[in-house]
Amino acid sequence: MPLDKSIKKVLVIGSGPVVIGQAAEFDYAGSQACLSLREEGIEVVLLNSNPATIQTDHSVADRIYIEPISVEAVERIIVKEKVDSILPTMGGQTALNLALKMKREGIFEKYPVRVIGTSIETIDTAEDREKFHKLMLDINEPVAPSARLTRSNFEEEIPKLDIYPLIVRTSFSLGGSGGKILRTREELSVLANEFFRVYPEEVLELEKSLEGIMEIEYEVIRDNAGNCITICNMENLDPMGVHTGESIVVTPSQTMSDQEYHNLRDSAIKVISSLGIRGACNIQFALNQETEEYYIVEVNPRTSRSSALASKASGYPIARTSSKIAVGYNLTEIINPITKNTYAAFEPSLDYITVKIPRWPFDKFEVERKIGVQMKSIGEVMGIGRTFEEAFFKAIASLETKESQALRLTVSDEKLRELIRTPSDLRIYAIMEALLRKWSPEEVSNLSRYAIYFTEKLKNVTDRLAELSTGVMPENLRELKYTGIPDSLISAFTGIRETEIYRERERQDVFPAYKAIDTCSGEFFAETPYLYSTYDQENEFLNMDRKKETVVVLGSGPNRISQGLEFDYGSVKAVLKLRESGYRTVMVNSNPETVSTDFDVSDVLYFEPLSLEHICNIIKRESPCRIIIQFSGQTGQNLAMQIREIFGDEVILGTSPQSIEAIEDRKKFAEALMEYGIKQPEFVTVTNMQEAVDAIERTPLPVIVRSSFIIGGRAMDIINEKEEVYGRVAALLQERPGFPVLLSRYVEDAIEIDVDFVSDGKNFVISGICVHIEEAGTHSGDATMTLSPDSPDRKTRERIRELVSSFVAKYKLIGFSNLQLAVKGNDIFVIELNSRASRSLPFVSKATGLDWISAGIDAMLTGTLKARKEAEPKSYFVKIPAFPFNRFLDLDAILGPEMKSTGEGMTAGRTLEEALGKALKMMNVRMPSKGSVVVSISDKDKDQLLEIARYFSKLGHKLVATPGTRHFLRENGLEAEVIYKMEDVREPRIDQYISENRPDLIINTPNSRSGSIKDGYQIRKLAIRKNIPLITNLKLAEAFVQTLKAGEKWDFREIREYWDAQ
Amino acid sequence: MNRYLILEDGTVLKGIAFGYIGDSYGEIVFTTSMTGYLESITDPSYKNQILTFASPTVANYPLKMGLFESDSIQVSGVVARDAHAKLLIDPSWLYFNNLMEEQKVPGIDVVDTRFLVRKIREKGVMRAYIASSPEVPTSFPDPMDQDVVSKVSCREPYHVKGDSKHKVLFIDVGAKKSLLRELSKLADLYVVPYNFNFEKIDYDYDSIFISNGPGDPSHSSLSKVTEFIRKRSDDSHIYGVCLGHQIISLALGGRTVKMKFGHRGSNHAVTDSNRIFITTHNHGYAVNGDSLENTGLIVTQWDINDRSVEMVRHNDKPIFSVQYHPEASPGPRDARWFFEDIKKDLEAR
Repeated sequence: MPLDKSIKKVLVIGSGPVVIGQAAEFDYAGSQACLSLREEGIEVVLLNSNPATIQTDHSVADRIYIEPISVEAVERIIVKEKVDSILPTMGGQTALNLALKMKREGIFEKYPVRVIGTSIETIDTAEDREKFHKLMLDINEPVAPSARLTRSNFEEEIPKLDIYPLIVRTSFSLGGSGGKILRTREELSVLANEFFRVYPEEVLELEKSLEGIMEIEYEVIRDNAGNCITICNMENLDPMGVHTGESIVVTPSQTMSDQEYHNLRDSAIKVISSLGIRGACNIQFALNQETEEYYIVEVNPRTSRSSALASKASGYPIARTSSKIAVGYNLTEIINPITKNTYAAFEPSLDYITVKIPRWPFDKFEVERKIGVQMKSIGEVMGIGRTFEEAFFKAIASLETKESQALRLTVSDEKLRELIRTPSDLRIYAIMEALLRKWSPEEVSNLSRYAIYFTEKLKNVTDRLAELSTGVMPENLRELKYTGIPDSLISAFTGIRETEIYRERERQDVFPAYKAIDTCSGEFFAETPYLYSTYDQENEFLNMDRKKETVVVLGSGPNRISQGLEFDYGSVKAVLKLRESGYRTVMVNSNPETVSTDFDVSDVLYFEPLSLEHICNIIKRESPCRIIIQFSGQTGQNLAMQIREIFGDEVILGTSPQSIEAIEDRKKFAEALMEYGIKQPEFVTVTNMQEAVDAIERTPLPVIVRSSFIIGGRAMDIINEKEEVYGRVAALLQERPGFPVLLSRYVEDAIEIDVDFVSDGKNFVISGICVHIEEAGTHSGDATMTLSPDSPDRKTRERIRELVSSFVAKYKLIGFSNLQLAVKGNDIFVIELNSRASRSLPFVSKATGLDWISAGIDAMLTGTLKARKEAEPKSYFVKIPAFPFNRFLDLDAILGPEMKSTGEGMTAGRTLEEALGKALKMMNVRMPSKGSVVVSISDKDKDQLLEIARYFSKLGHKLVATPGTRHFLRENGLEAEVIYKMEDVREPRIDQYISENRPDLIINTPNSRSGSIKDGYQIRKLAIRKNIPLITNLKLAEAFVQTLKAGEKWDFREIREYWDAQ
Repeated sequence: MNRYLILEDGTVLKGIAFGYIGDSYGEIVFTTSMTGYLESITDPSYKNQILTFASPTVANYPLKMGLFESDSIQVSGVVARDAHAKLLIDPSWLYFNNLMEEQKVPGIDVVDTRFLVRKIREKGVMRAYIASSPEVPTSFPDPMDQDVVSKVSCREPYHVKGDSKHKVLFIDVGAKKSLLRELSKLADLYVVPYNFNFEKIDYDYDSIFISNGPGDPSHSSLSKVTEFIRKRSDDSHIYGVCLGHQIISLALGGRTVKMKFGHRGSNHAVTDSNRIFITTHNHGYAVNGDSLENTGLIVTQWDINDRSVEMVRHNDKPIFSVQYHPEASPGPRDARWFFEDIKKDLEAR
């Protein structure tokens, strides 16, 4: 079937802000989908609230709505744009849920639109556990046996059951938490008897536990003619029980026989065909290799995180092919764009191994590190090599964590055994530590249940590492490199600097060859230069046309807290600009989820770790070339000096490494500010109590106290009492001896401002000034910020220009920079300067409608800034953070100087209230007409509370408050119901009240008194667990009230409408 | 121990020995299958060939998890990038190395196999030595210019009891066990060698099946089989796979051609212009589609990429055959319907 000509205008639904479990992979899928539809002459309308993705750029979609992903918005878009079709399978669960909701609300009957690709009915069957299980039984495919016990049937059912070990869940603890494993009939009998005595109305859900057996995924594509192919399979190193997003995954499978591989492939095709999928999907299996039994775990009827991984691992553009199928094509009609010589109808053959390792946020959050059926990781890295060892250690080198850089764990053997047995982010390091301690691969495999193949492979490396000794440059460098050992680990085990190791490799001419990922193991000629390094013989040169000047752009590696999708947007835009300007572009990145690692973004793609080793190898191979590090976040900033050490000053485009160093070194920077007479919040770091006493006495209150690591369950808030400061500092020093504690003076009631600008070393232009809603003290990545025509005022803007001007001159800033300020009255304090593209740059670009990336790139290349016109926003824009609190109930939901958000959304409005209203809706803060509002706030915030409380009271909401707050409200003539603190003997206590009465809104601000700290933490945790709207900042509460007053008079507009004058 | 792979064009690749420590010679080919190393090396179609695995990891799961497609290793040598053959402790793995040793098949590991694949793709299949010295020999005789089928065909005819409603004469020109297994599910089989005296068949068959096998279908050693098929084509139901498919086409007047580097792998899509099937291929020769004009055979499936002939069907006689391997092993099982078709055809008699 060729292109369906009746499809003329398609609405693609995006996935919204990056959150855990739904991250940059949809940036890739959604963008590829849009581009592939446009290739067919179809007009693409996009709805996505995420400003950080390249998808919401007009180079990707024709018409863009950066609006809340809601039925309302879709309905309005359908009417306004007259779209004829909707593609909901490229925006993760968000888009699928929206499509299901649209169906429930009758949108498809109301308007002449249809869903293209996989149908709503199919999505519904795949997503509905019961329907799906029934279908599997009908087609005779195995799912884990399950049963449902009620009070009336359990005595009769239990003797009949034989599905041990089983997981039991109560009907009120579904959703990953609260599952318990039972191994015998007795255990079940006891549990059921007790349970139904207490909860006679409830049910127990039982399911055979598949824990410990192998987990495999297949990525499948089915077309309109019913042709079904598998793109690749993925073997999880971690057995069942660990979410596949949390597992280390190798592609293609390494320990499955041909029989097993094809038994599962047959099953996959049967299941996918019976579901009637049209396009891409993913199916997960549990396989017991001893009994040869397998079970279908689940089907994702859409492109998923695994699709992105499978796509990057195999070279097969899954989202692209899937979109072509959605508009009518079959696999026999689509050309494979990698080879350009073969058809999409084939199954990739891989002549390399890829290893994916998740990137967890445990370097930022001190929370439980155990992993399991719930996702906690935020991003992932992929390593590619010709052996498992090579691929695995490239992935390790891409992670940029403390453990991945040092490898060794200093724990007792007993503790080590425990670490290997229990899934956590540390397990893989524990495995290697054990091998370094010469434990046998069998023992390690028995403990971890990793296939012995993998532990043996890892042993090949650890044996070599164990031979290294401190201070001695290894003689067998070539052999070590062939074994797959990164320079960074040679450095960690010898103490020799990486730059020295590079120089030694240069002396001995130990450099890798580069090979292409071509989807076909070399069987056909492929034109696309998608490359990885390996220490093999033949070096492949593709697209080495050197008539054009070469520029290497560094990507930003795995998504993590503080370094996410925003940077990938910048890299992609930069590459597009460079290509347009006639440069040959080279992209380096190790993140399989992103658009930057798409095969057709740059002229040459190196899928490699962003480590000094690989960057240097690439610079050497690509020489003469220049390199852009400003889109790689801190990664590039940290490597700048070493790159300069090897290749000299000329190679890095933009601000010089010396300037970067002068800015990054907090001490030097602070001294420079003093020298220039620029204000900054006073701060001091202490490492012991003696220093602390002195510092505390000298520092005026209030102060922000922070350790190098955030402590779970304790707000890093602003402290007003000296006694409290002592207590906190002492506790932190005791808990983490040796780690410095930072005391900085908190500039009270200041407003924080983020300034983005581009410059050429002399001239500059401000691209955006974003004003935080929360008062200063909240990390700029976590703050809700606005970009608007009227804030800050003219005078402040002028002073900001002066500051920027002096920084540009002092540091010869070239390219992109970001300045963070706190403004209080007439004082402007400098908090931070970054000489790289910032997290807010995509937001600023999309709010102003101006191409700042191009302007900055041009300044870097030519040395002269051509853009001189400052942005003048015509509408109001709000950037809203997305938080992972529901994934980490042990992480305090309070905001502070340490970043916690995983991504961001954006809204726009003709008025501030319109933009904010949409923003609050996206944050799930909404207010039904009647309900109760719980307020529990610190004393210093009470004055601010009054207006807010009055408003809710006037609307007829019941106010519920702790005694202190209640007293204050009464004094001011407002009635409130009382609730008591958690340690109080009186009832109702606050936690009890929240659990039982489900208030509609909780306003809680952190309190410095110890009892309240604990309470506050518990309240916020409860709010998140119960999914109750929570506001932890009175400024935000005020804004909320303002928007409520304004009412929901919103419209949804194409982003360009907000750029034009009203 | 060092080992060298010496190609006809003078290329010498150094690697490390595994399996049998000795020299070997053959036509060098590559497969892109990612699983089924045991199934591949025991496939009789690879007779006199040195097999390069494009997939870098070989023997990464225990031997016992694979299937023997014949009683012994058939390839003349194995070339790998990262064979798990000599490594370590698991006895089932060690066994792979032992098996290679026992059967006197040398392996060469740690070779840049992708380089080799690309070379073969560009230059076509070549003759090659696996040797202990890097010296390039002066002569590279054609390893396929001999009666290779004789090395893999059964010696004596034998009977495989099956559903006696249908009786099939199974001509073994190097049959894989999986193929025999599949056919035996459908009918009673009388398996005969390629050099069988077809004049004196003591078996009352109604259909003929010709198996897969190695080498050139037009080689003189196969002329007896071809002649027999030609004679029977008017009064028998005839089916074939791989070499058998080529023999049928030759028998009915078509021609076969040697391909540059053949199809060997488990990911090839064949199509009938509507449906596609991902199938296992192992062929260095193909039927020339144009040559089938006036033979009554019609090309009903072809490779989606190079359009080589993958299935023929006679326009009015019960004759059909496929170039690829519907029995899979290794590889995907999309073409299992081929056996269903045979079943239907047998029952339609």
